Amino acid sequence: MDTRRGTPVSPGVAAGPVLLLDTEWFRISRRKLRTADVDAEIERFRTAMAAAATEARQEQQNIGKQLGRQYGAIFEAHAMLLEDPAMSGEIELQIRTDEYAAEYAVSRVIRRYAKAFQSVGSSMLAGRASDLFDLERRVIGCLLGDRREELKHLTAPVIVMAHDLTPSQAAQLDPSKVHAFVTEAGGRTSHTSILAAALEIPAVVGVGPFLEDVSGGDEAIVDGNHGLVILDPDDATRAQYESARKTYVSFERSLDELRDLPAETKDGVRITLLGNIEFPHEAAHAVAKGAEGIGLYRTEFLYLSRDSDPTEEEHYKAYCEVLSHLPAGVPLVVRTLDLGADKFNPRSEPVSEEQNPALGVRSVRLCLQNLPLFKTQLRAIFRAAVHGDIRILFPMITTMRELRRCKLLLKEVKEDLFEDGVPFAREVPIGTMVEVPAAAILAGPMAREVDYLSIGTNDLVQYTLAADRTNEHVAELYSAVDPAVLFLIQRVLDEGRKAGKKVNVCGEMSGEPFFAALLLGMGLRQFSVTPHSIPEVKRVIRSLTLTEAENIAREALLLETASEVMNYLRTQSRRLLPELEL
Amino acid sequence: MRMSDFVVRDAIVPRLTATTKDGIVREIVNSLQAAGYFQASEAENIVRAILKREQLGSTGIGRGIAIPHTKHPGVDRLVGTVALAPAGVNFDSIDGEPVQVFVLLVSPQDRPGDHLRALENVVRSMREDSFVKSLREAQTTDEIWKLLDEPPGGWDR
Amino acid sequence: MSAINRPSAGTLDPPLSRDIVVVNPQGLHLRPATAFAKLARQFASSVAVCRDGQRANGKSQMELLMLAAESGARLTLEVEGPDAATALDPLADLLAAADASDD
Repeated sequence: MDTRRGTPVSPGVAAGPVLLLDTEWFRISRRKLRTADVDAEIERFRTAMAAAATEARQEQQNIGKQLGRQYGAIFEAHAMLLEDPAMSGEIELQIRTDEYAAEYAVSRVIRRYAKAFQSVGSSMLAGRASDLFDLERRVIGCLLGDRREELKHLTAPVIVMAHDLTPSQAAQLDPSKVHAFVTEAGGRTSHTSILAAALEIPAVVGVGPFLEDVSGGDEAIVDGNHGLVILDPDDATRAQYESARKTYVSFERSLDELRDLPAETKDGVRITLLGNIEFPHEAAHAVAKGAEGIGLYRTEFLYLSRDSDPTEEEHYKAYCEVLSHLPAGVPLVVRTLDLGADKFNPRSEPVSEEQNPALGVRSVRLCLQNLPLFKTQLRAIFRAAVHGDIRILFPMITTMRELRRCKLLLKEVKEDLFEDGVPFAREVPIGTMVEVPAAAILAGPMAREVDYLSIGTNDLVQYTLAADRTNEHVAELYSAVDPAVLFLIQRVLDEGRKAGKKVNVCGEMSGEPFFAALLLGMGLRQFSVTPHSIPEVKRVIRSLTLTEAENIAREALLLETASEVMNYLRTQSRRLLPELEL
Repeated sequence: MRMSDFVVRDAIVPRLTATTKDGIVREIVNSLQAAGYFQASEAENIVRAILKREQLGSTGIGRGIAIPHTKHPGVDRLVGTVALAPAGVNFDSIDGEPVQVFVLLVSPQDRPGDHLRALENVVRSMREDSFVKSLREAQTTDEIWKLLDEPPGGWDR
Repeated sequence: MSAINRPSAGTLDPPLSRDIVVVNPQGLHLRPATAFAKLARQFASSVAVCRDGQRANGKSQMELLMLAAESGARLTLEVEGPDAATALDPLADLLAAADASDD
């Protein structure tokens, strides 16, 4: 048994066999052979080893020619390792006696050697482990040939482990088959984490290097509540988690009982709770959890995992589908495309590579530089708004000029629709996301020109504290309750109130029970959170009076560091919300 | 971008004679046509397109300013002009006040970027009270042109 | 880790052995181990390299690497078989020299 710790990003517990995804995305299954097939499997293994050795020698020649003989020599060493009697003997032994499929036996033996290299205490050997992983890839590549199995074709439930998943890769995960996922990289607010929470798959990220110790098919438990990954768990641990899982399920049920109760404070202040979604069908789930509407529909997935830009019809259908899952008259906030050129490049007009994508052409900037792409989405929003209470939300607005440009474009889109004689909604409320410090500072003028503001805490924290939210080395700086961030949030809430405009918080922050009390006290009356957080946030709201929340906010805003704020909020929630301690 | 980049100097109308919304639009479009930017046969089509656009909501943005516009295949580049009606004409403006300053734009159908930039430029210029005041006081084509050709002020660009 | 190809006993020729100190500053790393195993495989005799009671098949780079022989490590080379006498010198030279030149 081996326990690793990471960042919990999506709650729940799952146990099952590991599906290891390496950078090349092939999976290694712990398939058992029939005894009669063992000889054939050994033959298959030998053929693959020979092919891998030939490949390595070919590489030795090529590299040797290109860069000089000494550089090619490393591949000769690889070839010889592949022919090494000790290693291949062990692999054959595993195939014969344990009846493992060749892929699994190769992975197991090579990884065991790699681990031995790393643990023997010699830096010289430890550095060689990467050569072994190279060999593993090469042999398994030869074994699988063209038969690399893809994620889409999963047949049995698994726990996916990978160094990192891109949002589009994560989007391919089938929640009915993928029961949890764990990544070495990533942080609490990376898109992948948000996606895991949306899919309600338990997930732990930022575990650091550990995949070398895992083989596909190994058993593991993922504890998404505490950020634990337990490899090869013993029976006692298994039993303990099985009972914890049951408790968690019944806790979830108890929260579900809150569904039909209003979100209001003990002294009767009514709060609006909305859901954040990534996919149209999640709208139904959000409503089931008690959402009074969709406060943030992220439309990025219309753009990802495909070869062409989405058409107006595809947009329109997606928005109508969301509406079809919502009760009549319930609001749906559609956020326009919010991707950087690093994650998405318009097929029509690609953006060149950037040094610093977070500060480059992304989100609404990308859209304003690619008007046909932007107009396609806006047309669809206006058309779908005929069927329900749709509102537009522009992400990453930084200057008044950008905001005004967006508003002008809206006018133009309406004119085009009018001229084309297509039915569309003439009055669609528009809002701007406050997620750049500049927008928070200019919240007053911005509020006067829109119908509502929505604070996107994830990016606001990242840009205020200049810390990449997915970089584990600076993750410590990234805190939603840093006094500088709270100052900006307070400003936006105040300016919104002065302008008579609603302010919403839609970052992951508002879904944290600790933070919900603080935001309530700071003046927030509308929360938009991941659907599964709705009951918990509702419970916090229902456990407090507004005065209590305001006292918490007043004290918290006097503190000078993020950790002081965090400690203070912990103490307060223990005092006021003892049942939150699980 | 300056307004002089897309305003046709020869089409500027310092003193409009029409007194109705339709008449104003027709007079400005005819002036633009006379300057040679589209066929005479297109003029009436363009007038109709602009008036249809007005049905969606007046382009009278308040403070005595209106920006009637349309996209039309009859032009091969963005063209516009400025026209003044010092006495004011009812244009169904959002603030209900009569309009003295008109900026009319016609752009090709396949150039959304140019259209947006020009509109943005006009809207921004019209935000400056001193600019609007000077424009209202201008008497001749030359005076109007001089205002439109001034480098944009401020640190904005 | 099990060593599959242990030098087989039972030949008539007595085993020959020699003590060697690793001089390569990087120790017996991948390339010298490869070169050594490559040479060892050319002989019919069994070749073993021992360090502190740990015994590696000289024809297996992997086992040689697992000795983790850093610079200055004391090794014993054992050769046993029909061509042991011919094999000993070149193998011992290679192990001692552990070509520092190629890095």
